[in-house]
Amino acid sequence: MNALVQKSTASLDALKRIHPLMPWFASFVLLLPLPLLALNDYQIYLLNVICIMIILATGLNIVKGFCGQVTVGHVALYAIGAYTSGVLSVKFGVPFWFCLPAAIAVTMLAGALVGIPSFRLEGAYLALATLGFAQSVEIYIRVTNYLGSASGLGGIAPPSIGNFVFYDYFRYYYLVMPFMLIAVYASFAILRSATGRAFMAVREDALSAAATGVNVRRYKLIAFMLSAVYAGLAGSLFAHMVPGYVHPNNFTVIEMVTLLLMVVLGGIGNIWGGIIGAILVTIIADLTRDFYFYQLLMFGLVIVGTVLFMPKGIGGIIDRYFVSKRFVAAREKTAEQKRAEAAAAKSGES
Amino acid sequence: MTTLLQVDSLCKSFGGLQAIKNVSLEVEDGEIRGLIGPNGSGKSTLFNLISGVYKCDSGSVRFDGADVTNWEPHDIAAKGVARTFQLLRMFTEMTVLENLMIGQHCHVQYGPFAAVFGIGRVAAEEKRLRDEMMELLSFIGLADFAEVPASEMSIGQRRLLALGRGIAMKPKLLMLDEPAAGLSPVNVDNLMSIMVQLKKRYGLTVIVVEHILKVVMDTCERVTVLDHGEKIAEGSPAHVRDDHAVIEAYLGREMDDEEVRAAMAG
Repeated sequence: MNALVQKSTASLDALKRIHPLMPWFASFVLLLPLPLLALNDYQIYLLNVICIMIILATGLNIVKGFCGQVTVGHVALYAIGAYTSGVLSVKFGVPFWFCLPAAIAVTMLAGALVGIPSFRLEGAYLALATLGFAQSVEIYIRVTNYLGSASGLGGIAPPSIGNFVFYDYFRYYYLVMPFMLIAVYASFAILRSATGRAFMAVREDALSAAATGVNVRRYKLIAFMLSAVYAGLAGSLFAHMVPGYVHPNNFTVIEMVTLLLMVVLGGIGNIWGGIIGAILVTIIADLTRDFYFYQLLMFGLVIVGTVLFMPKGIGGIIDRYFVSKRFVAAREKTAEQKRAEAAAAKSGES
Repeated sequence: MTTLLQVDSLCKSFGGLQAIKNVSLEVEDGEIRGLIGPNGSGKSTLFNLISGVYKCDSGSVRFDGADVTNWEPHDIAAKGVARTFQLLRMFTEMTVLENLMIGQHCHVQYGPFAAVFGIGRVAAEEKRLRDEMMELLSFIGLADFAEVPASEMSIGQRRLLALGRGIAMKPKLLMLDEPAAGLSPVNVDNLMSIMVQLKKRYGLTVIVVEHILKVVMDTCERVTVLDHGEKIAEGSPAHVRDDHAVIEAYLGREMDDEEVRAAMAG
């Protein structure tokens, strides 16, 4: 195990030395043949869903995990993205490549609206406010004929580049996967920069963050808008995927709980954790779909269990491993330095 | 010497309690100023008013040539006022190094978009920041713990780290709220030497609130004493130590032996 970790970190460093973006290119190449390994079309469909869920969970992780804002309205943003894209495509015949940025822009604005209550509300109160928002969006969709009401909105055209149309799951994978990689890369780049640090500072202690020069309101808003960009992207990708059909059932509180489970199980405030969570939960949800009625109970129990026994999730455990390793390494380095200094002093004396 | 901080007849009350009454204060550039007073005398409230955490009822605060009265805390921080908290308020889930790096927030030149697209420039900036903060960590003696979450530090280490976060902000004025509370005697001496070095090394002006009077008496050039929200004395440590009002505020009125005996018997 140790040797394997060492080897993989070493090869990762080697890739980074060639170019900072090299690891991302390598993972792109590695992910290319994945659908060929799938046994049937359904598994390829699952791959697509996993990619979309990764984008969604990464977005939620930004606002919830990194900025510490307890939002339950993420699924509504996802719905807004999906329906904006869907309506533009179905009612106005706009091609995917214009629907996508429009959906992202609209969702970003909606994200800003969800973010404003966070200036004054915290914790459970913010959760309630965003839950209200999520429910209103879902109900609005259900009763609005223009949006297909309870029977859903169908006939959303698949995306195309020139004559190449992404009309089945196999082809669609090659659209979703690059978007997923770009989204994950962007979240890494942002969260490991000064912006990410500011998010975490706001999460840890807003007052202390302000005293350190972080404009708390601004960063809360940025976090909400950023997560909304991810939700809009995921929503648009979901809407245009075969069969080009969106239904309010895709955006219920149940979906929100599933999404929360991904982030909590994977590790709040840990990008890899969110990704691992998205993959695991999507697969588990699929394997247990025969027990649909018990699924929510199961998910709820897993969330409670994770929060009680593994508060930082799977990602937290992995993180802990690396942190303790680096700490030991730093300690050894200083000890060695001291030994070397002592030896030098000794030889100087004699 | 120019005046860096000028507090003019500041007032603040919480409901019926007047926490700060007409306090005026001038701190010169490069000074180490002590702020003492019994519990509840308004020292922390004064800090909170200067750093913008509380809004004052009346009066004004001028800092470095600008009227910063009732500015938002982050704007005051950007102007060059750093502070530590009595209860520390570290970012416990972040690593020690990150805790310092967040102190540099006002000096970071790029935003989230540059982080995504400007790979080379941002990486260079981050590396510079990281190296600078590692150097600062060795100055405060926590270099070994760079990658450890702040939650795993002892109270003494966290006090040092809070001080480090203040220095990392590259402020003009550093306000320390009880930096020696809970420290062992050896660490108190250590802290005092760091405070004196701060002035030489970073050219900082320091205001320090402290209950351990040794710290204040040995490092500060001038001391301001508060009691019940009012300024009761100001001057050199020796002057303040002998001031009648100060002694009374801390120890109560002096009694002669007869009075003491009477009080104990009664």
